[in-house]
Amino acid sequence: MSVLDVFGDNARRDNSGAEHPPSPAGTTTAPARRRRGSWPPSLLAGSILFGVIALLLLLAPWLSPYPPAQQNLAARLEGTSAAHLLGTDHLGRDVLSRLLDGGRFSLAVASVTLVICAVTGTLVGFLAARRGGLLDTLVMRVTDILLAFPEMVVALFLVAVLGTGDLTLLLALTIGGWTPFCRLARGVALELNGRDFIEAAQALGCSGWFIIRRHLLPNAMPPLLAHTALRFGHKLITVGALSFLGLGVQPPSSDWGSMLSEATPYLDRLPLLVLAPGAAIFLAALSVTLTGRGLEMRRARTGGSS
Amino acid sequence: MLYVLRRFAVLVTTLLVASFLVFLIPYVTSGDPAARILRARVGDLVQDPATLARLRLEYGLDRPLLQQYLSWLGSALQGDLGRSFTNGTEVLPQLMRALSVTASIAVLALLLALLVAVPLGALCAIRRGTTLDGAITGITQAFVAVPEYWLAPVLVLVFALQLGVLPSSGWQGPSSLVLPCLTLALRPMSYFTQVARSSMVEVLEAPYITAARGRGLSFAQTMLRHGLRNSVLPVLTLFAVWLAGLLGGSVVVEVIFAVPGVGRQMYDAVINNDVPLIQGGVVAVVGLAVIITTFTDVLYTVINPTARTSRVRA
Repeated sequence: MSVLDVFGDNARRDNSGAEHPPSPAGTTTAPARRRRGSWPPSLLAGSILFGVIALLLLLAPWLSPYPPAQQNLAARLEGTSAAHLLGTDHLGRDVLSRLLDGGRFSLAVASVTLVICAVTGTLVGFLAARRGGLLDTLVMRVTDILLAFPEMVVALFLVAVLGTGDLTLLLALTIGGWTPFCRLARGVALELNGRDFIEAAQALGCSGWFIIRRHLLPNAMPPLLAHTALRFGHKLITVGALSFLGLGVQPPSSDWGSMLSEATPYLDRLPLLVLAPGAAIFLAALSVTLTGRGLEMRRARTGGSS
Repeated sequence: MLYVLRRFAVLVTTLLVASFLVFLIPYVTSGDPAARILRARVGDLVQDPATLARLRLEYGLDRPLLQQYLSWLGSALQGDLGRSFTNGTEVLPQLMRALSVTASIAVLALLLALLVAVPLGALCAIRRGTTLDGAITGITQAFVAVPEYWLAPVLVLVFALQLGVLPSSGWQGPSSLVLPCLTLALRPMSYFTQVARSSMVEVLEAPYITAARGRGLSFAQTMLRHGLRNSVLPVLTLFAVWLAGLLGGSVVVEVIFAVPGVGRQMYDAVINNDVPLIQGGVVAVVGLAVIITTFTDVLYTVINPTARTSRVRA
């Protein structure tokens, strides 16, 4: 893993590695079998929190006390009350309803781009490791270059070229986002390349695709899952940042980031208006970060592969 | 050696890619490309078709794209990045001013993070497995999930609106540095603490620590002579990585606090469609970031030879 990893994944890896030295042999057969029932507290807390948030957002249309876009100019900038649990915004819209509605967008964008990044990165990483040679070199140099571009700068550049919109948002979050997955998957695949069960599969005439699906993927899954969860938090924060800057979701839609920026002028009058959407992003990011941490700890504890 | 050469090849390629991409901005955006490009070079919007045709020839916009790129790159390398659309002044001096602002808040924030993180990490490592360790580790893990655009309003609310001790935004005097730096410092501080902790844990288990203790050095002496020095290196590497990242990653904080840094400049340039400023900003930020990381990587292999072989393979 290069030092270029801006978002501190080195930190995460170093930490877990130092605390629980990886088992010397690792699992010898795919799919890895591990002990059940050893959920670290952070994994438990993180996944429960995430489950609650996801459930609330899924049920938003039924849970929302008001339609999220319904304005009531007579009740602008009201604090908490029985009618409006989290108050109303500058147009008299119910903040709780808007939070539930906006979160769907934030979470959807973050998860869709994350899945694209994870799948692309993993496949490219496996292919590079299996094929080796020129393809491998090429892939590695491309990731080197992409890692040099800060995500925000890429986003600004894309807005300058394409203007704001869904495509810009999608590209901004995926162009560089697949590279960490690629490096991780490639590392796992390289480690397994000389192992008996891979060589046996090759000798039996299994196709490369079969080896990837049957042997590489199950072995790479635990580290990839943990990494995906940690990236999720980062994606959520970036989606919010882009919307906050007006480069992400465009009106009339809104998400947590755009709610936050709309509320900023009223910070001194009604702090809750700013604090609520920010807290929502924080809690969502926290839930997946904790989950990722827990997954890493569990992997280290049960002596997972890679 | 091969590794160093490869790193520099990546550096040059990255700069070429970045410059070519920003060079293309006026060609691919909507509207008459010639008029936009000429605006980027001349500074004013040319309305008259005859003048437009003459300038088009004069600036060589009829030449092949690659040729145009090379001449643009040539003048950019000589420091001529064109003139800003919005204020008509040259891009380079504006860019340098903004970069120095961003660099200063980034360095200050990271130093602050380092100052808190190294002792905190060492404390966790020494008290490993205790409630204190668990609490600090837990809190720093949670801090990682705090978005800057949430922390910033909270700090403004407390320090500017409630206590009234610090300005909520703007760029006057050292007091206006405090809130942006605090906001920027939180996340790196969390990562630094975790890395400082894990490297210190590793160091504490190393044989040379036992040996030093065996020679009769006190725990404090051992820590000062052997522990800190060896555990700080990974943190310093991370410091450089974060510095490179913050140059382009402090956009949100600069926008919130009205800091005249390069992130805000690029953001404003994108909003105003100020192509030369966008071009200059992107190239400068990407270039500086890749230069910093390249030098860190190379320096790291010089200091720590074990990294060399593994890196060539990686």
